[in-house]
Amino acid sequence: MFFFTYLRRELRRRLRQAVVTALGLALGIGLVVTVTAVSSGVSAAQGKVLGALFGVGTDITVTTATAPSSGGMAQITPEPYVQHTDTLSSPTQGSIGASAVTAIARLHDVGTAAGGLVLTEIKTTIPADNAPPPASFQPPVQVGVTGVDLTRGRLGPLAAARLVSGRNFAAGQAGADVTVADSAYAAAHRLRIGSAAAIAGTRFTVIGIVRQAPGSNAPQLYIPLARAQALSGLGGKVNTVYVQAASASGVGLVAGEISRLLPSATVTSSASLASSVAGSLKTTAQLARSLGTWLAVLALLAAAAVASLLTVAAVARRVREFGTLKALGWRSGRITAQVMGETLAMGIAGAAAGIALGLGGAAAASAAAPNLTATVQTSNVGQGGFGGGLSADGGIFQGTVGGPVQTFANPNATHTVAVPFTAPVTAAAIVLAASLAIAAALAAGSLGGWRITRLRPAQALSKVA
Amino acid sequence: MYDLSNVTRHYQKGGRAVTALHELNLAIGDGEWLAIQGRTGHGKTTLLHILGGLDRPTAGTVTFAGRDLGRLREAQATRLRAESIGFIFQTFNLVPTLSAAENIESALIPLGTGPAERRRRVTAALESVGLGDRARHLPSELSGGQQQRVAIARALVKQPKVLLADEPTGNLDEDTRDEITALLEQLWRDHGLTLVLVTHDSAVARRAQRVAIMHKGRLSIRQDTRRAAK
Repeated sequence: MFFFTYLRRELRRRLRQAVVTALGLALGIGLVVTVTAVSSGVSAAQGKVLGALFGVGTDITVTTATAPSSGGMAQITPEPYVQHTDTLSSPTQGSIGASAVTAIARLHDVGTAAGGLVLTEIKTTIPADNAPPPASFQPPVQVGVTGVDLTRGRLGPLAAARLVSGRNFAAGQAGADVTVADSAYAAAHRLRIGSAAAIAGTRFTVIGIVRQAPGSNAPQLYIPLARAQALSGLGGKVNTVYVQAASASGVGLVAGEISRLLPSATVTSSASLASSVAGSLKTTAQLARSLGTWLAVLALLAAAAVASLLTVAAVARRVREFGTLKALGWRSGRITAQVMGETLAMGIAGAAAGIALGLGGAAAASAAAPNLTATVQTSNVGQGGFGGGLSADGGIFQGTVGGPVQTFANPNATHTVAVPFTAPVTAAAIVLAASLAIAAALAAGSLGGWRITRLRPAQALSKVA
Repeated sequence: MYDLSNVTRHYQKGGRAVTALHELNLAIGDGEWLAIQGRTGHGKTTLLHILGGLDRPTAGTVTFAGRDLGRLREAQATRLRAESIGFIFQTFNLVPTLSAAENIESALIPLGTGPAERRRRVTAALESVGLGDRARHLPSELSGGQQQRVAIARALVKQPKVLLADEPTGNLDEDTRDEITALLEQLWRDHGLTLVLVTHDSAVARRAQRVAIMHKGRLSIRQDTRRAAK
């Protein structure tokens, strides 16, 4: 076909210019693909962190601050005999009436809502008054226990958990003394399906073992909500409401509606939680979003500009050729199409090379990037209801022996998660990159075409005649 | 074929107005060979461009086969060139990346001629200018005379009514000039073309039926042998 013969010959004649144009586009496209992949990787890493902290399907959590008299401070007075205490309480979060869950669920933009009770079991042995401290003093034992609303199993603290063995709660077990254990806790305490676990002096049977995502700050044990309420003395109350918006775009609206409904409550969305994430993950995300994006945009613009300039220069050099074609009866549109075909071919070559460069760049980023870390303030997580009030680094409990024992939360404790980083290149990114290269090439071709359209054949021929 | 009435063409050059053609009147009959002579810058090429629909007069009318070229829209003028007018240039103006056959084929693209018919007509055109064995050669692989033969074949392959030649022998040596002139004369006779040929060369001009002289945008007839030729 004449069109392709002409196109091929012209590209071969101006091979150096074609290669420079294609390479320029390839560089821009490669950067776009790499930056997109890095951004995707960072987003995925953030998603992992937030998903682990937040729970699958949960858009918003609602909590209230601890009331001064709600058990945040507990005093134990030494007696002349050894005391053993085993309490289940909510030391870092205030409670909300279960009716609030129903009220939230009825809000216009809310899909569904579930209540939960994030509790801490503290087992303490207090020596007898005036007795010398035992040689092998054991500090108080803390266990995170969360009460789960069995009627809303797909929402709440267990939603993100993966069942390792056994089974999950059944709807009819709301009043049963059954528990689902975290796999790490089960391994440490040799719990298996059918084992017994004592919670606040009550014997619970382990029916399932689950694994939560790393960094989720998950509780050690899950029990039915009604049992948690009974054992903690918080009958008819919850301290966390998990909310799913009717649509992803409605999360902000829902947050506003809940704030109006419960003015004293803390309403936390994944976006507000994300803003509290610190560490290299946040730094990388910011870098990818700001510098990376601008770098890619600038490279692409520069490539498009170079392609346009080279095309316009080529048109200027080919004035006689185009003037002759016009004299032969070629329409301006036909000549423009020929030039655009040439730039399009360069664009396709640039896109192919750019995608290859981008894939290499993404692979290099994945290979070179160390694991990222995300640091979240435990107090935020606790207040937000994400995984309980106790942290592994002892951020909540401190105690003294030989005098009054106090329990309190450390508001500045943090929780750091290591997040493996990969930069995935998606099909959408490749389509975007190819589209950008072709658009840049067509823009360059259009500029050349515009020059051709304005070219008067008599002038074109006169210039060289 | 052509009827020019009071044709004037002004244009701007270096910030000043230049009159390339001044109230020019001329009739060119069907099948006539008109040679136009004159010094450089006196309007020969401008006249040729106006005859070819590449340029429009500032004033006056140019009718071609009864159609006013000055009133044609750009697309109509383009179509007219594609169908009825063949051009030959001093510098051949071949596309350097296309072979001899492809250069000739390029004149058939605007007509939408099918590939098989294009091949047939290109082969015939190459044979008619004596270059049947040079079809695949690039312009750079051909001599000046051969390149001009390819340009002539390109102009004739669409079987135009008019052939407009702008100094077709200007870049050729004397022997080649004579060959090309003889070829043009033969094609003019064989195809019944109207041939308008701009030249500096009196030896070439003398072979035309009429010779017109352009001087400062005005035209005067010096030689008319039409009756003798017929």
